[in-house]
Amino acid sequence: MTVIWTQDGIVENDPWTAADGEGAGLVSLAEALDHALDNTPLGVQLAPDDDVRDLAPILDRIAIVALSFPAFNDGRAFSQAALLRQRVGYGGELRAVGAVLIDQIPLMLRTGFDSFAVSHAPTVARLRDRRLPGIDLHYQPSVDKAAAGPGYSWRRRAAG
Amino acid sequence: MYRYDEFDQAFVSARVEQFRDQVERRLSGEISEDAFKPLRLMNGVYLQLHAYMLRVAVPYGTLNSRQMHKLAHIARTYDRGYGHFTTRQNIQYNWPSLKDIPAILEELAEVEMHAIQTSGNCIRNVTADHFAGAAADEVADPRPYAEILRQWSSVHPEFSFLPRKFKIAVTASERDRAAIQVHDIGLQLKKDAEGRLGFAVWIGGGQGRTPILAKKVKDFLPEADLLSYITAIMRVYNLHGRRDNKYKARIKILVHETGVEQLSAEIEAEWAHLKDGELKLPDADIAAINAYFAPKALAPRAEGWGELAAWKKSDPGFAAWVGRNVAPHRHPDYGMVTISLKPIGGIPGDATADQMDAVARLAVEFGHDEIRVTHEQNLVLPHVALADLEPLYRALLAEGLATANAGLITDIIACPGLDYCALANARSIPVAQDISNRFADPARQAEIGDLKIKISGCINACGHHHVGHIGILGVEKKGAELYQISLGGSGDENASIGQITGRGFEPDQVTDAVETIVETYLSQRKGLDESFIDCYRRIGADPFKAALYGNDEARAA
Repeated sequence: MTVIWTQDGIVENDPWTAADGEGAGLVSLAEALDHALDNTPLGVQLAPDDDVRDLAPILDRIAIVALSFPAFNDGRAFSQAALLRQRVGYGGELRAVGAVLIDQIPLMLRTGFDSFAVSHAPTVARLRDRRLPGIDLHYQPSVDKAAAGPGYSWRRRAAG
Repeated sequence: MYRYDEFDQAFVSARVEQFRDQVERRLSGEISEDAFKPLRLMNGVYLQLHAYMLRVAVPYGTLNSRQMHKLAHIARTYDRGYGHFTTRQNIQYNWPSLKDIPAILEELAEVEMHAIQTSGNCIRNVTADHFAGAAADEVADPRPYAEILRQWSSVHPEFSFLPRKFKIAVTASERDRAAIQVHDIGLQLKKDAEGRLGFAVWIGGGQGRTPILAKKVKDFLPEADLLSYITAIMRVYNLHGRRDNKYKARIKILVHETGVEQLSAEIEAEWAHLKDGELKLPDADIAAINAYFAPKALAPRAEGWGELAAWKKSDPGFAAWVGRNVAPHRHPDYGMVTISLKPIGGIPGDATADQMDAVARLAVEFGHDEIRVTHEQNLVLPHVALADLEPLYRALLAEGLATANAGLITDIIACPGLDYCALANARSIPVAQDISNRFADPARQAEIGDLKIKISGCINACGHHHVGHIGILGVEKKGAELYQISLGGSGDENASIGQITGRGFEPDQVTDAVETIVETYLSQRKGLDESFIDCYRRIGADPFKAALYGNDEARAA
């Protein structure tokens, strides 16, 4: 069973999730570019080798972007997310799908993901308890809103 | 050397707690070994043939006595009384139990150490010239930049799941003692015409199954742009490096398949967006990190010159040790001392807890409390007054640490091989021991001169056989160990990849083959001044092949 989690908790009745827990209504990059003139907001699921910059011309048509982790050790989507946020300037919902595990979620949050499709039961359990295993001190800037860290220009401290 | 501030200390403690939680979840079965694997690897924990192995980071190979005493304590308390120094300037423990590892990490944190990113598909421990801060020929100390890279790369959110491991080395001399051309990124600190510091940047070097020398992508990168440019390289690699085949996943393959011109254009395009952003290093920060590495205030000790001459005259053993293991320091009254971890017939890189404690004490007494680990698996005391060399030598001798063989044929690099490693196809250590015993005679070693033998027990090349003057690679053929020999490799500023001589040798023939190669060199060299590698480059492989296989077979090959 896949659940959707954000920093506000578990999301019920997510419009991009079907009754069986699978993603619903999400289209590929090519389909999104084809339907850019439609009136309904688009949900786009990019493949790990898609260039996120291709979304730039249709940014205002997009309601959600899903980036996929085909395996937990395939980290391309971390760079895709950073580019989408910082280069393309996408400000909408950015969802991690695929192999989304508790130990990677803090890194995903830092690189700009704000929504997570999770099916791994121990991960779901920890998210329900809000027990995230991240470290609040960072040695590098990333996409997340972090305060300037003490000491050197490259350090950051988690906001909040 | 660098000292942790509160931020570093809090970060490392948080990392220990994070890992403790991961180990508990693994032990309770909440996470599978498959999912645990990348987590433990990112903290230096491997599952080996017989046990877990813990690899502890020694950033750019620099240690103080307190840290070395702690490494000894860990060897004694949690392991079997010894540790193994590696070709990445790290130390490995071969027998810790998984449940003890969080406690070991906590002990390491007490002395500003950790095991972060000593394995896994992430940016590994950044290495540097082991003579940094002491060598006469460097333009500046490379370690402050290695420290900046260490901090910036620690738990990097974007680059923790790269296609493959990623190794960065920094040197600051024309004479490359950090082997930068066989690293994913090699940095050579240099000055431009105006005297400003920056880096020549090389990418795509590596050993393993496909040895390739790095390509230069930047002749001068200003120091302020270090992190932005490396971020650009990492991002291009993370997005485009191959993930379909682990043997083709290193950046060297991306460079090779894309072409260095196109890839460096992609890196430049990415860098253009990042260059003047938040990764730009302020001068004040560079200066603050440099201040930790300010040159030691070394008192004049000119009396050492006369004493040294007299000691050498009265003790040929001491004279031989000084001749091989002491290199000139930038201060004329001092030397840089290599402590060989290659006793005759020993295991390359191994040190007992007692030896580690002894080195720590001697570093305080004679070496301004500084110790280095070299990528050739030895230790170095970088700042020793010539006037202190004799008492230091006596003390090292008593600990079995005064082998006078730095750079000689018995100063062999070897990976752990099939005695420990789950990846190995063949044993490395017994091969090294056998060669060491055969060439034990100091006079014979001196006659042969500089010669680097490097041994790997599998194609992953942890023993750096591709860049050995004589490289030995253990393979498995029909269930038996077989050793391929290559010649002419080199990991310095004149880097080259060794060429395989021909068919492999059975375990009991390897040392004979090495002896044949050495005898061929001795008979062919122009004189004592022509080293093995120079001679090989002049005469080529054929005379060696003829000696190893006979003329007919050499021609056929």
